[in-house]
Amino acid sequence: MNNEIPKEYMRFNVTERIQHVFMLVTFLLLTFSGWALKYPEIEHSKGLISIFGGPRNAGIVHRIAGIGMLLDFAWHCAYLAYALATGKMKLRMDTTIIPLPKDVVDAVKNILYFLGLSKTRPEFGRFSYIHKFDYWAVFWGMGIIGLSGLFLAFPVQSSYVFPMWSVNWIWEVISIMHSDEALLAIVFILFWHFYNEHLRWDKFPMSMTWITGKITIEQMKHEHPLEYKLEFGDKKGVDK
Amino acid sequence: MKRFLFVVSLWLPLLCLSYSASAETFTCLACHSAMKGNIRTEKGALINVNVDGDQYAASVHGGFDCIMCHKQFGSNPHEPAKLVDVPKNIADLASKLSHKAKVDPIALAACVECHDAVYQSVLESVHGKNVVEKKESDGAMCVDCHGSPHYIQKKLSPASHINKKNIIKTCGECHEKEELAKKYNFSTEILEKYKESFHGKKYTLGHANAPTCVDCHSYHDIKKWDDPKSPVAMANRTTTCGKCHKGATPKFVAAITHKPYGPIPYWFEKGLIVLLLGVFTFIVGHVILEAFAEIRDKVLNKGKEGHDE
Repeated sequence: MNNEIPKEYMRFNVTERIQHVFMLVTFLLLTFSGWALKYPEIEHSKGLISIFGGPRNAGIVHRIAGIGMLLDFAWHCAYLAYALATGKMKLRMDTTIIPLPKDVVDAVKNILYFLGLSKTRPEFGRFSYIHKFDYWAVFWGMGIIGLSGLFLAFPVQSSYVFPMWSVNWIWEVISIMHSDEALLAIVFILFWHFYNEHLRWDKFPMSMTWITGKITIEQMKHEHPLEYKLEFGDKKGVDK
Repeated sequence: MKRFLFVVSLWLPLLCLSYSASAETFTCLACHSAMKGNIRTEKGALINVNVDGDQYAASVHGGFDCIMCHKQFGSNPHEPAKLVDVPKNIADLASKLSHKAKVDPIALAACVECHDAVYQSVLESVHGKNVVEKKESDGAMCVDCHGSPHYIQKKLSPASHINKKNIIKTCGECHEKEELAKKYNFSTEILEKYKESFHGKKYTLGHANAPTCVDCHSYHDIKKWDDPKSPVAMANRTTTCGKCHKGATPKFVAAITHKPYGPIPYWFEKGLIVLLLGVFTFIVGHVILEAFAEIRDKVLNKGKEGHDE
């Protein structure tokens, strides 16, 4: 039994999937409750706001969802630290999500393949550069949008910690940070995440991995060949 | 029963009259609600002397006789005005306002009869002093903010010029005008920056608690910001901002300036835009290239996809 390759591979455990669902829900709430504040003069903004029952409620939803997302992020970091400390998760070149020089090479190779200038696609490990970009974008967003959002939610308290020489421009910088980076995050999700996890030929209308946590072995061989070799390279099974 | 109702209905018009305006007002309005075009005054200004009777009756002052404000026309309104009928305080005030009121300075001064305290604070304000002391004719007095005196609505009515819904637009009537900004050395960017701020954006979306100009700057007794009595004078800002932001300190109140971005936010925004466009270009380009490559592989080449093996 141990020598057989199963039909499916558990890619994300239940904790990781719950973290993703929290991220997904809070992200959508934040997007829909915050969008109107970026473009208030547009007529559809008032419609968006009315979904939440007025600007006051939309503000409350936005704050709660924001804090929920930050808590989810904190949970994920604590989970990672715990998994690494107890050895449940090990750092390896072909499974890590940490960006490596190989990812830059992969990206160039992949684009050359798209353009027809190369006959072969690069081989990815557990996380391709596409996944890594998607993952670290959240960290960037948490740092920039999450932090500035906290300052904006508690302006008086935040003002106590800002140094005197910064008070004349810091709020403008924070507002720009929050709103421009939020736009970046929304466009990023719309293009990068939606294309790669929903619109792709073999994933449309969506990859079910976020619910089941599993991918098929065929898919694994195809999309994560290095991880496949690491896990099952010395085994023979249902491999055709 | 029918007979009773008929008798009652005979009295109804009178009932309406007692609630709107007197018979004398109707006498004036017989002509002054049906006049088209403008007439030229002795001084040469073109004025409109028509009043919409229905709108007047529906306004807060709809029950007034015309001569309660147009006091000099007590007897025959088309004879030269008789200032003897006008109380001295109103006549004095009117003489200070004569350059401001194109039509009837007495009527503009007559507001003081009922609204004395408010009127005095307006005269002390930056708007009032501009008219009375500097003798400017384009500064704001009562009707410039409240609208035509014949159609003034209660503040809570959405039709009121000073209703929360309209107040920014009303202030903007002057404060968004370039020529006035130049003349009085203020900036039209102030309103623009307000609208771009979180306060302004919440206001545009209809947030009930969003502050407007008057919440911080006050209104009738409005002063220039460098006047120590102004609520936005440096020394008073912590109190003014503290009305909503409990615990506001001088460090906190520095947040609101209504000024254009300084160099740090300006270049910070430019930098972020470059980053945004860079990321957009990469992700959109990548997605489009990959989509075409997939169509090529899956449709045209029927699944023959290359692989490093």
